[in-house]
Amino acid sequence: MKGINKRVAIGFMSIVALLFVSGMISLFELSNLSNDTENILSTGKRNMELAKDMLNSAHDHSRAIINMAIFNDHAYDSLCRSSLNALEERIASARSESFNAECLDSLAITVKELRTLSDAYLVPAAAESNAKSAEPSIADDFALAEGSVTGKIWYETKYQTVYTRLLGQIKHFMQLTHSSLAPRAAQLNRNAYRSVTPVFISLLVMIAIVLMFFYFVNVYCVRPIVRINTALSNYLTFKLPFRVKAELLDELKELHDNIDTLVNISKQTKQ
Amino acid sequence: MRFSVILRYIGTVMLCVAAFMAVAAGISYMDNDSGYYPLLLSSLLTLLLGAFPMLFVQKAETISNKEGFSIVVGSWILACVVGMFPYLIWGGEFSLIDAWFESVSGFTTTGATILDNVEALPQGLLFWRSSTCWIGGAGVVMFALVILPSMGTNKMALSSVELSSLAKDNYRYRTQIIVRILLMVYVGLTLLTTVLLRVAGMRWFDALNHAMSACATGGFSTKNASIGYFDNPIIEIILIVAMLLASIHFGLIYATFTRKANNMFRSEVVRTYGIVIAIGALSIALSIYLAGLYPTFGQAVRESVFQFVSIISTTGFATTDTNLWTPFAIMILIVASIVCACAGSTSGGLKIDRLLLFVKVFFARLRLQRHPNAVVRIRVDGIVQEESQLDAVMVFIVSYLCFMLIGTLFNTMFGLDMMTAFSSAAACIGNVGPGFGEVGSLDTYSQLPAVLKLQDTLLMLMGRLEIFGFIQLLFIKWWR
Repeated sequence: MKGINKRVAIGFMSIVALLFVSGMISLFELSNLSNDTENILSTGKRNMELAKDMLNSAHDHSRAIINMAIFNDHAYDSLCRSSLNALEERIASARSESFNAECLDSLAITVKELRTLSDAYLVPAAAESNAKSAEPSIADDFALAEGSVTGKIWYETKYQTVYTRLLGQIKHFMQLTHSSLAPRAAQLNRNAYRSVTPVFISLLVMIAIVLMFFYFVNVYCVRPIVRINTALSNYLTFKLPFRVKAELLDELKELHDNIDTLVNISKQTKQ
Repeated sequence: MRFSVILRYIGTVMLCVAAFMAVAAGISYMDNDSGYYPLLLSSLLTLLLGAFPMLFVQKAETISNKEGFSIVVGSWILACVVGMFPYLIWGGEFSLIDAWFESVSGFTTTGATILDNVEALPQGLLFWRSSTCWIGGAGVVMFALVILPSMGTNKMALSSVELSSLAKDNYRYRTQIIVRILLMVYVGLTLLTTVLLRVAGMRWFDALNHAMSACATGGFSTKNASIGYFDNPIIEIILIVAMLLASIHFGLIYATFTRKANNMFRSEVVRTYGIVIAIGALSIALSIYLAGLYPTFGQAVRESVFQFVSIISTTGFATTDTNLWTPFAIMILIVASIVCACAGSTSGGLKIDRLLLFVKVFFARLRLQRHPNAVVRIRVDGIVQEESQLDAVMVFIVSYLCFMLIGTLFNTMFGLDMMTAFSSAAACIGNVGPGFGEVGSLDTYSQLPAVLKLQDTLLMLMGRLEIFGFIQLLFIKWWR
């Protein structure tokens, strides 16, 4: 391939390449945008799941404590421990998923406080209960009732304070993540505009190149052919000299020169 | 006028711009920052835009004066358009208008910014920002002229447009050599300043950026507090010298270093420039010292010399907030931002050469009134100035002041106070950068309405293309 053919082909290929690049850019930017959107949605969903699990575990722990401290039912001991473990697991998993670290730190501290509190009360209480359950008597029933009263007081004064704080912190964790979604959604809105910008710029450049291509094809291909044709017609019809006023390149220049030679030969033959 | 030839040579300039973008992309790649993708994409698009006309249009043997004008003005405008691509793609603080403002401000070496937090920009973009100043400093077309030696005789037509007749006065060489001298002095000065700034304690990256900005008399800094961030008297002295040299005719600097007779110490214009700087800086120092703004006279001199040289050389670096200075000091700085430096340098503004001619014409007129039949010749450096040259200078001064006043009027129309309106118009048309009021030395143009930002970019382009080159394009007859 050479001459005009080569120029037009390269020009055409440039436009195709730019179209391809624009397409790739839009794909890339759209996939980025899609990832961001997905990320925001999945963060929200995950936050809800974690918060729900934490609330369930907290509720289980509270239920176990009530049964153990007020009703002296130590069968709930395993639920008490497993619910605390579950809470700690949820906090650890939230931490690994890059949720608000500050909020998770205070949650972890409260859970630790809750564990210390329940351990400090429940371990001696369980030992005492075990000792007394060996030989039950009327005096023991009184002691149990007295113990229940003490447990109730402990639950209301000590445990419930920490438990309420824990619930508040779980709710705060839920709200914090959700309130941070609003600016992220706004950022997403801006990102959408930014995603369009590279594509828009590529399209602008492509329009400029298409216009230039049209102009050059017109100036260097179409116009010379039209003018050569007009000059040849003028020569054949009116015997006007064969003169072409156009930018001539490659084959078109050859064509012009060949016609000019033919015209000269024709003139000489007639003479 | 051959439109295709114009496109081809503008394309050459675009290739140079693309090369600088590619270097900036390389810096971003090494730094692993977020500027890599915007710069690389912009570089590729600019490359394609620049290379496309070369596919069809062959080298022209000759270029007419009109074509030369169109190539130069078109190159400036298109360079500004492609220059905003990296900013727009990167995002951050840049909206469409802001990216255009930053790009025009860079290429016209104005150095005014819309960025409230410059330090948030990745290193690649910071380098690109300084590059726009540096490319603009030498003149977009000058790069093409030197990089493409095959253009041969066409250099004459283009450089006659790029260099004003005043600027060419002090060159006593052929045009091709003028171009080489200009580039040699420019690159040499930039490299020397970079090394000196590094030795004075800047990081290599900051040193290079500040050197590029100082030698282009641009004023873009990599820090929010500009040069005030470094608080280092040695850095300030190096930059004062660099700004001074960059604002003196490059031909005279070359002649001085090669020990030619027509060196800068013998130039009347440079002498006048020196006297203006000495009087201006000393007056400001006295004013701010007596007002009790600085504890010692030495500190007042340090601040006043730096700020005065920065403004009169049209650089716009800052070490302090000049809004806090006395009204007298502020007025001197505003006058300096109108008068500016020498022709044939990278600075903008009215130029001290024209001011000198104006003063001489003024006294000649007084003399003619006393002796109506006298033949009065006006000379600069012993060379008699032609009437047409004097007329051109007078028309330029009047036009310059008129456009500055129109700019001020337009600014006040949109609610700016008088100080901000006048000083921003003067700073933009003079390619100085910082003004006073809301656009002070440590402030930005970010809070201005979009329409005023557009107006300011028009003033910057007008100032850089010495008014007539830009206005010429607006006349339809010109294109026939």
